[in-house]
Amino acid sequence: MSDTMATEKKARRDALNESHVWQVYARRKFEEPLHEIGNVMADDVELAKVYARSIYDEFAWVEMVIVPRETIVHVIET
Amino acid sequence: MSTTTRRIDHAALFAVLSSLADNKQAVGRRYAYWCNGAPALEAAVAAAAMTQDELGHARTLYPLLDNFVQAEADLSQVEPETRTLHYSLAYLDRDFAGWADFVATNFLFDTALTTFFEAAQQSSYEPLRQRARKIVQEERIHEMHGEGWVRRLARAGGAVRATMAASLERLWNETLCWFGPNDDPIMQQLYREGIIDATPDELRARYLKKIMPTLQGLDIEVPVAFNASNKQWELTGALPWERWDAVGRRLG
Repeated sequence: MSDTMATEKKARRDALNESHVWQVYARRKFEEPLHEIGNVMADDVELAKVYARSIYDEFAWVEMVIVPRETIVHVIET
Repeated sequence: MSTTTRRIDHAALFAVLSSLADNKQAVGRRYAYWCNGAPALEAAVAAAAMTQDELGHARTLYPLLDNFVQAEADLSQVEPETRTLHYSLAYLDRDFAGWADFVATNFLFDTALTTFFEAAQQSSYEPLRQRARKIVQEERIHEMHGEGWVRRLARAGGAVRATMAASLERLWNETLCWFGPNDDPIMQQLYREGIIDATPDELRARYLKKIMPTLQGLDIEVPVAFNASNKQWELTGALPWERWDAVGRRLG
């Protein structure tokens, strides 16, 4: 593979690399609190919503939210 | 399997249901290939979920064919396992060349089929009405996925954007033709009988209203212009009706 082709391939790959992590929270009953069930990577919020619904579909959740990881503020950190 | 109830004699409805079922089946099969080939794990899981949905939609539509007199000519054609007729788009005859073809099908054609199902939510034909409501509900997440990936690929720029634009262009005409010419006797009959609530031109207008904000926002060029006087998106070029196969509802 020529250097040009390799550079183009890397540029294509970099352009599609997801860099934002979203924490996924959900609950099965209204009387339960939301709890963290996992995370998804996506640079587009709508895609993040689709991914969260597709991946964490093991229960009939009554609520699911996603939070961008970079917005989380640590109060206590070890 | 044949039913003991009396079959309905309705060639137009039989033709459209055949096309809907075959297209859903073909879309599902093409999606299936990408369940482990998508650009990211998350996208692969979403592709698997959408594959299941599309094949599920086909599975609920095929049994309806058995309720028609038109099925009696060859009962093997009402079962997906024995059916040899394929009234799906020519675009779906071959494997997708890449992820951009998946996204184009998701964004353009699947949304076109959903536009039809939305027009059938108050259908006078109850079996279609029931299925249409469920399908429209499930397709909301597919639309979010299609729009999200069109944005993602278009904003990546360079060769990625060019490949996306080329995939959309290849599927464009055939998707818009699927609704039929405005004097299509099949769709017009469904409209007259309240099976759907729109003519082919009205379906196309509703469809353009759904997809154009995304395409316009990304500066993706398509032969459509916004008519400020009637506040509608309108095609600026003629569709290739000389290649329209009215039986297969596809371009030849």
